[in-house]
Amino acid sequence: MPQLQNIYRVVANKKLSPRFYQLCIDAPSIIGKVQPGQFIHIRVNDGLEPFFRRPFSVYRAQKYVEILYEVIGPGTQILSLKKKGDPLDVLGPIGKSFDMPSPETRQVVMVAGGIGVAPFLILTDFLRKRQSLGFDVPKLILLYGGRTKGHVFSMKEFINNGCAVHVATDDGSVGVRGRVDKLFSRIDFNPRTTWIYTCGPKPMMAVLQRFARRHRLQGQACCEETMACALGACLGCSIRTTQGFRTVCYDGPVFDLNEIIFE
Amino acid sequence: MNLSVKIGNVRFKNPVTVASGTFGHAEQYYDLEEVGRLGALVPKTVTLKARLGNPPARIVETPAGMLNAIGIENPGADGFIHHKLPSLQRIGVPLIISILGHSDEEFVTLVSKFHEQRQIVALELNLSCPNLGKKVLVAQDPQATHRLVKRVKKISRVPVIAKLAPQVTDITVIARAAQDAGADALSLINTFPAMAIDTLRRRPILGNLSGGLSGPAIRPMALCLVYTAAQEVKIPIIAMGGIVTADDALQFILAGATMVAVGTTNFINPRAPIEVLEGIKKYMRGNKVKDIQQLIGGLRTEAAETKG
Ligand SMILES: Cc1cc2nc3c(=O)[nH]c(=O)nc-3n(C[C@H](O)[C@H](O)[C@H](O)COP(=O)(O)OP(=O)(O)OC[C@H]3O[C@@H](n4cnc5c(N)ncnc54)[C@H](O)[C@@H]3O)c2cc1C
Ligand SMILES: Cc1cc2nc3c(=O)[nH]c(=O)nc-3n(C[C@H](O)[C@H](O)[C@H](O)COP(=O)(O)O)c2cc1C
Ligand code: FES
Repeated sequence: MPQLQNIYRVVANKKLSPRFYQLCIDAPSIIGKVQPGQFIHIRVNDGLEPFFRRPFSVYRAQKYVEILYEVIGPGTQILSLKKKGDPLDVLGPIGKSFDMPSPETRQVVMVAGGIGVAPFLILTDFLRKRQSLGFDVPKLILLYGGRTKGHVFSMKEFINNGCAVHVATDDGSVGVRGRVDKLFSRIDFNPRTTWIYTCGPKPMMAVLQRFARRHRLQGQACCEETMACALGACLGCSIRTTQGFRTVCYDGPVFDLNEIIFE
Repeated sequence: MNLSVKIGNVRFKNPVTVASGTFGHAEQYYDLEEVGRLGALVPKTVTLKARLGNPPARIVETPAGMLNAIGIENPGADGFIHHKLPSLQRIGVPLIISILGHSDEEFVTLVSKFHEQRQIVALELNLSCPNLGKKVLVAQDPQATHRLVKRVKKISRVPVIAKLAPQVTDITVIARAAQDAGADALSLINTFPAMAIDTLRRRPILGNLSGGLSGPAIRPMALCLVYTAAQEVKIPIIAMGGIVTADDALQFILAGATMVAVGTTNFINPRAPIEVLEGIKKYMRGNKVKDIQQLIGGLRTEAAETKG
């Protein structure tokens, strides 16, 4: 019944490193509609195992819709076996997208942890497109934390989109050694002209939120929660915010960074 | 082909609806023309005052199903009437409003708020939510069920449906209590109490500790409860519990259900209610059934003829 539900074809499902894949779907009715921060909800299997669909941020939407994903359990395992030409039952695009930075913004800082980098490539694509439409585009900075070298992707694409990329890995195999917050000291965060976007593990976003509060910085966070419907129907994906419980799928996944209550 | 069914004095154009708490935001995401083909819509349960719901995590998937402990998050009766009802009314499908009071008085107040609203053709009393920390549900107590249904029936201008719980010793006792008190129909069934544990953290997965199991995992049990209740009462039954396909729905109809509701499956395949409706029509065409009434309770239980 939803206009959002369609069967699309897999165009490619490329293995980037042992646990990371890039899936490319021919989804013409998503292209042109999807905004940065929105996601798609994929039924990985016709049967009942796993039972829920699986949500993934749109990573790019040029000719095809692309997602970047990490194999962590049965759902993503099944997804990794999809081949060119396979049909895929997809709901989307879903959710509230990132706001575009205000005209006063001189500097956009994207803080990504691991696979949380996914929504930022499409974001920088959109920001660049705005530039060609005559908008002033702020300086783009990506602070990117990953476990190790094989877990850090797309730096070339971000650089091509005009981003300054700073990387931190737990083992120091690329960039500085340590957590992504080690990179904060490299940036001049002027609260009046800086806008933050973040996506990644909750502890990372919680650290960033504390930093942002201390420095009076504003921004938005793209959140994750287990989802059933992804249509705002079941009220199963709620998180705590200063406005009460909010569903990640319908009220989010993008929220004001300062409104989320991390537990 | 006649698909229409009746509950109380209300006629529905077909027997397919959705289960409370599993369908929402139609105006934003759905093809309203398709939704308009359903027999009825049942929105999430409404309480008198707004409820915030339970702490996360509220859902978890389990084999062929899921647990939920949403805790009846809802904007309260007045919030619902102002913010949700208008868009539901615009869809043009008869509405069955699910209500839950924390006392008989609250139920009565809820009835008075809803029974005269446009497009609302029946009220479903949620006597069976497992997620509100109650030790005994109304639907586990025949006297309480009888008393409440009777009070509500006294004032309601629209048919009253009692939604019952599966965790009872004998479903026929409660079903009869509801019928004797004047209920126009029964909804069977709500979720089964259930839990899941994260062994690494040694903690319950759900914020509410336990929740309700739904989905295909419960279907055979739901079917048996519907069949058993249908043997006991004369009033129509709205059946739900793991319906995925038209064949599932037909099983409930043959067991005695007058209407069927698609619940959890909406989360996996939002098109399921329409597919169920189309599948029932196809079955009727294929088997030369002119009227759905011929199927309701049409289960054959006499010993199959054996060839000599
Ligand atoms: C809006 C949104 C966007 C997302 N975008 C992406 C994306 O672009 N790329 C990507 O790889 N993943 C993304 N995810 C996460 C992705 O949906 C999960 O990784 C996937 O559902 C896991 O399914 P599985 O069956 O493989 O693993 P499961 O068996 O479901 O999970 C394996 C383990 O990981 C834990 N887990 C599962 N999901 C999450 C989660 N969301 N956060 C923290 N822990 C979790 C489980 O508790 C379990 O222990 C997104 C999630 C949301 C809500
Ligand atoms: C997420 C979720 C929320 C639900 N909320 C309600 C509710 O508010 N009121 C109610 O009467 N039943 C509620 N139910 C129960 C369903 O209406 C239905 O009775 C039950 O899930 C069995 O049907 P199913 O297996 O097809 O889902 C809910 C079920 C789920 C899964
Ligand atoms: S997943 Fe159902 S409301 Fe968000």
